Amino acid sequence: MDAVKEAKPHSSANGQHLTFFVAGEEYAVKILKVKEIVEYDTVTTVPNTAPWIRGVTNLRGNVVPVIDLAVKFGLPPSKISKFCCIVITEVSYDGDKLTMGIMADAVNQVVDFSENEVEAPPPFGTRLKIEYLLGMGRMGKKFCLILDIDKVLSTDELLAIADSTSEPQDTTSNPAALGARAAESGV
Amino acid sequence: MDFDREAVLESFIAESQEGLDLMEQSLLAMESSAGGPELVNDIFRVAHTMKGNATALELDDLAGFAHATEDLLDVLREQNTEVGASEISLLLKAVDELRALVIGATDGSPRLTDNQQHLRKQIADEVDRRSQQLRAGQTTNGGRPAAAKASALPGAAGRTLRADIDKLDRMLNLTGEIVIAHGRLRRLIEKVESVNTNLGRDILEVQGETEHLFRNLQEEVMAVRMVPIGTMLRQTLRSVRDLANSHSKLARVEVLGGEVEVDTAVLEHLKDALLHMIRNAIDHGIEIPPVRKSRGKNPCGLIRVSAAHIGSNVVVTLQDDGAGLNRASILHKAKEMGLFLNANPVSDLELFQILFRPGFSTAGSVTDLSGRGVGLDVVRRNIEALHGVVEIASEEGKGTVITIRLPLTLTIIDGFSVLAGDDTFVLPQEYVIECTELTAAHRRPGSSGILNLRGSALPYIRLREVFGQPATSQVRENVIVVKVGEFQAGIAVDRLLGGVQAVIKPLGKLFRGISGIAGSTILGDGRVGLIVDVPGLLQDMMQSSLQAS
Repeated sequence: MDAVKEAKPHSSANGQHLTFFVAGEEYAVKILKVKEIVEYDTVTTVPNTAPWIRGVTNLRGNVVPVIDLAVKFGLPPSKISKFCCIVITEVSYDGDKLTMGIMADAVNQVVDFSENEVEAPPPFGTRLKIEYLLGMGRMGKKFCLILDIDKVLSTDELLAIADSTSEPQDTTSNPAALGARAAESGV
Repeated sequence: MDFDREAVLESFIAESQEGLDLMEQSLLAMESSAGGPELVNDIFRVAHTMKGNATALELDDLAGFAHATEDLLDVLREQNTEVGASEISLLLKAVDELRALVIGATDGSPRLTDNQQHLRKQIADEVDRRSQQLRAGQTTNGGRPAAAKASALPGAAGRTLRADIDKLDRMLNLTGEIVIAHGRLRRLIEKVESVNTNLGRDILEVQGETEHLFRNLQEEVMAVRMVPIGTMLRQTLRSVRDLANSHSKLARVEVLGGEVEVDTAVLEHLKDALLHMIRNAIDHGIEIPPVRKSRGKNPCGLIRVSAAHIGSNVVVTLQDDGAGLNRASILHKAKEMGLFLNANPVSDLELFQILFRPGFSTAGSVTDLSGRGVGLDVVRRNIEALHGVVEIASEEGKGTVITIRLPLTLTIIDGFSVLAGDDTFVLPQEYVIECTELTAAHRRPGSSGILNLRGSALPYIRLREVFGQPATSQVRENVIVVKVGEFQAGIAVDRLLGGVQAVIKPLGKLFRGISGIAGSTILGDGRVGLIVDVPGLLQDMMQSSLQAS
C-alpha cells in the first residue's frame, strides 16, 4: 500500500469523499473512513491535553474523542453554530482502529473524484503540513484539500504535542509533578 | 478428519492445559499434605482424558506419553500407598513435558525429544518395578474393590459452561447502559409527574420496578465475572517451589482467604503483580536455611498471602518472614537522590513508598543490601491501573508486609459528583471521608493551600485550577476530604452534586498518560463526566512537596 502511495501520491485519493468546512476552508475525507455524522452535542474538556483536542463526547454510550482541526492548523478555535457537527471517523493507529470525531462548521456534500480530478498537493500555499494531504480535489472551479486522516490524527503526534504544550501552560498547577505523572498513569 | 480439526484441536489444547494445571496443583498438594487417594484419582483422570483425546486427534507420541504417565498413576492408585517425593518429582517433570507437547500440537503431531523419550523410559521402569511389587503383594492383599475404578471415569462434572470474557464484557456494558438510560428516563418522568400527577406517579412506579430488576440483572452479570482468588494463587505454588529450589532456599506459601472473589479482569492484573512480589520475597527476602537457623527462625521460610473483603475493597497482603528492608541504606540512597533532605524523622510509610518509584529499584547498592525494589514500580503500575493502592511495611530481620487494596470491580463504582468550573467530575466514593465548607479565612487563590480541619492542618488542592477550568464567581467553595492509604488531603470544588453510580468508560489510547484522570462515565443527562484519579492527584501533591522540601 505504502509503496503504491509513494509512486503516485495523488492516485489513492480518488473515489468517494465527504467534504466539510473548517474555518472557511473545504476539506475532504475518504467516505470509507467516515462512520457517521452527528449533531454537535456537549463536548467535555479533558484537562492537560493538547489545545486542539476539544474533548470527549457521548456517542450512544461510547466515549469518543473530538478534535478541532482549526486549532491544529493554527487558527482560533471553531465556534459553535447550528450547522456545527461532528464527523465520526475511524482512524488506524498502531494496528488498532480508533473512533474519533472531527468538528466541522458544516458538512457539504459527497463527491466522487475521478483520477484526473485529483492533483498532487502543492508544496506550499496551504496552511497545513504536506504530509496531512493526499491531494487536491477539483470541484468545478474550486479545489478542496483531501486529508490523509490517519496522518492528521496520528496519535504519536497527539501525544508529542500534549507533552510539549502542557508544561509551559500549567504554571498555576505544578508542572513538574504533572509532567512526571503523565508518563505513567493510565486508564 | 479435517472438517473441524482446528476447532477440536483448540478445545483439546485449552482443556489439556487446564487439566495439566490441575495435575500440577494436586501433585503439589500431595507433597505438602501427603494427600490421599482422591488426589491420585484426580490426576489419573486428567492423564486418562488426555490420552483419549490425543488418540482421537492422531497425536500418537503425545498419546503414548500420556499413556505411560497414566500407567504409573494407575499403579500408584492400585498400591494405595503414600506417594513419595521422587515420584512426585517424576510426575511433575512429566507434566512439564506434556505441556510442551500439548503446545507443540498446534503445529502438527509433535515427536518426542530424546529427553522426553528418556523420561518416558524412566516412567515405564517405575511402572514395572511397582507392578512387580504389587503382584507380589496381591496374593496376601486380595482384590481391590471395584468401586474405585468406576469413580475414576471422567464425567459427573458440575453444570458449568465456558464463556468468552468478551461476551461477558459486552453484557456488563449493556447492563451499564440500561442503568444510565434509566436514570435519564426517571428524570423525564419526574417532569411528566409535575404536569399530570396520577399518570406520572403510575409510570414512575413501573419505572422504579424495572430499574430494580435491571440492577438485579447487573449484579448477576457481575457475579458471573467473579472468580475466587485462590485458584490463581495455587497456580503460583509451583513456581515458588522451583524458584526456592534454584536458590537453595526453603520456602512455602500459605494462602488465607482463597475463597475471596474478585472480578476476572482485576485478577488478571493482580496475578502479575503478586507473582512479581512472591519472586522478590524468595529472591531477596527469605534467607538461606543456615542463616535462618542462626537467626532462630524456622529454616523453611514462610510467605503468607491473604485476601479479605474490607468494605468495598479487596485487600491482599503478602507477608514474608525474611530479612526485611534495610531502612538505613534506603534512606541513604533517597538522600543521595535529593529526597527527604530536610524532613526529619522520615516515617516508614513515606520512605518505603519511594521503593515504588521507577528508577529507584535499579540502584544496585540498595538492591544488594536490602533486597527488594526490583521492579516494584511495575507492581505499582499494575495496581494503579486497577485503581488500587499498594503499601509496604517492614521490620529489619523480621520480614516485610506488602498490602494491596483494590476495588471489587473495574466497571462500576460508587462515586461522588462535583462541579469544578464548567464541568462535572466524579470522585470515587471509596476515597471520600467527608465534605466540609472552605471558610473564607482559609480561601487563598491558587491551586493549593492548607486548611484547618478541627484543629489539624489539611493540605488541599483546588480542582478547578489543577484542571485548568475557568474561574467562576462562586461565593462559597466546598472541600472534599479524601484519604488514600494513610494520607489525607482536601479537594476544593465549586459545588457538591451528590452520589452517583458511575459506569466506568475507558478514555482510550488517545488519552493514555493524562494525569489526574482515571476514566470517564456518562452522566445522568447524557454528557461525559470525568472520573478523578484521586491517588494520582495526591501523589502529585506529595511529590511536589517532596521536591519543595
